[in-house]
Amino acid sequence: MEMSPEELAREERLVCQLRRLLQAIEAGGRVLLPHTDEALLQSIVEAAARIFGAAAASIALVNETTHSLEFRVAYGAGQDQIMGTSIPLDKGIIGYVAMSGQPIAVSNVQQDVRFSRDFAQSTGYVPRSILAMPLLSGERVIGVMEVLDKIAAPSFGLQDMELLGLFARQAALAIAQAQLMDHVGEAFVLGLQRLAMANDSADLGDALGAFQHLGSESEQSRDLLALADLLNEIGALGDAERRACVRVLEALAECGRSRSRLGLV
Amino acid sequence: MTEESTRPAWSQQFAADALREILATGPIAGLAPEWAWEGSTGKGVRVAVVDSGVEHDHPALGDSVCGGVAIEFDERCENYVRIEPEDHPCDLSGHGTACAGIIHAIAPDAAIYSVRVLGRDMSGRAIQLAAGIDWAVENGMHVVNLSLSTSRQEYYALFHELTDNAYFHHMVLVSAVNNIPVPSYPSLYSSVISVAAHEGHDPLTFYYNPNPPVEFGAPGIDVRVAWNEKQYTTCTGNSFAAPHIAGIVALIRAKHPELTPFHIKTILWACAANTRRE
Repeated sequence: MEMSPEELAREERLVCQLRRLLQAIEAGGRVLLPHTDEALLQSIVEAAARIFGAAAASIALVNETTHSLEFRVAYGAGQDQIMGTSIPLDKGIIGYVAMSGQPIAVSNVQQDVRFSRDFAQSTGYVPRSILAMPLLSGERVIGVMEVLDKIAAPSFGLQDMELLGLFARQAALAIAQAQLMDHVGEAFVLGLQRLAMANDSADLGDALGAFQHLGSESEQSRDLLALADLLNEIGALGDAERRACVRVLEALAECGRSRSRLGLV
Repeated sequence: MTEESTRPAWSQQFAADALREILATGPIAGLAPEWAWEGSTGKGVRVAVVDSGVEHDHPALGDSVCGGVAIEFDERCENYVRIEPEDHPCDLSGHGTACAGIIHAIAPDAAIYSVRVLGRDMSGRAIQLAAGIDWAVENGMHVVNLSLSTSRQEYYALFHELTDNAYFHHMVLVSAVNNIPVPSYPSLYSSVISVAAHEGHDPLTFYYNPNPPVEFGAPGIDVRVAWNEKQYTTCTGNSFAAPHIAGIVALIRAKHPELTPFHIKTILWACAANTRRE
């Protein structure tokens, strides 16, 4: 059904309002919530490696599009080489853990037919023992955490498996939270869409549909998000540094106001 | 969630320094391995391995694999599952063959049936698992090894009904608890024999846990097992503890065919390595 000019205008206004609302939510989230991507995961693998007395630890995340596991953070032996590498979901012990959703402890990888020697060699470090735990978001496996070669013992034991489970749960929470923030805009729109459909509000549903198809962010919204990221960093500084930044920003804002008042270009 | 986090971990109660001695007195103390299973080879007992399939011609299994079925999810079918017979079953990963190999090593004359409910990606739906248990009851299995479980709350009642049905048909369901401390159905029901791993290696040494829901501990650490494509590997997990108990149950049933699941659980309790008989 064709929309009248009034209806089109109303839809456009609604879309603009939605966009501003989503920007506010996303920016607010990025300012207030700690960044949960690499920094926290890195600290988790380092803690795990040290507490286990292990030669290395890493976290790989599931990429559902490419059906692979991508190594995101690593600590210890081979850490630089393994970063950014990926392994197919059906390969290796780590792949088996991802598919089965069950942890695995292997004392001697030479005796395990699932071990992918080629992959290990490509990272420059071939372990002897592996302890791997799935990272779960609900029932979905979103990644795998591995600990390699316990230094003071020949292999990992049952208690190690339980301990790694605790770290894995932390990592999974951190990843799920980061993924949620990345998609908060989409999630919000989808939720509203469903609500609109359920309440038989075809107009709102159409507007939301149009919103989703409007393509990626404008330069302005990208700048806004970059600013939000900076504010997050500033928030983590010491008191004196933070106050100094606030004064600088206030001065810049005042400069902008006075320029607009005087009509300078 | 609070309940889950305070539940004892699956392995700790079977660690050497945590094991508690159980005292058996009176007539029950007279139940010993010599009476229960000594001299038995599992002849005449049918054991279903509900898993990823069983490689029928793996050297570690001899001629023990007698057939089975593959259970796939199919929305067009009744109960959403399609059951296809497999006279010469195969294993899509190795997990099922590993379990069958352990059972065969303990009860070499037991007949093994493969009930495949997992796909190549090691996953399956709870409804397939339910159908697998159902198939085992309908087809006269004596013992079922279930080295997998679901943590889906919505299936709690269905699995309860299925396991009770199995119990009343005198089918012994041996179920491995999940390696991760999440709800594990049907492993945690009283009508099944629930098993977790301990660190020993003697296949006939198992322990009883006086603080259920995990009742028995059997070897499950660094166990040398068969794997698919005629391979062998070394594995750790509760999955490999359950078949040890399933094998012993097959031995008991072969020697004493008249026994019910509750008799067998009592015998296991009395014959546990941490039970002192007076």
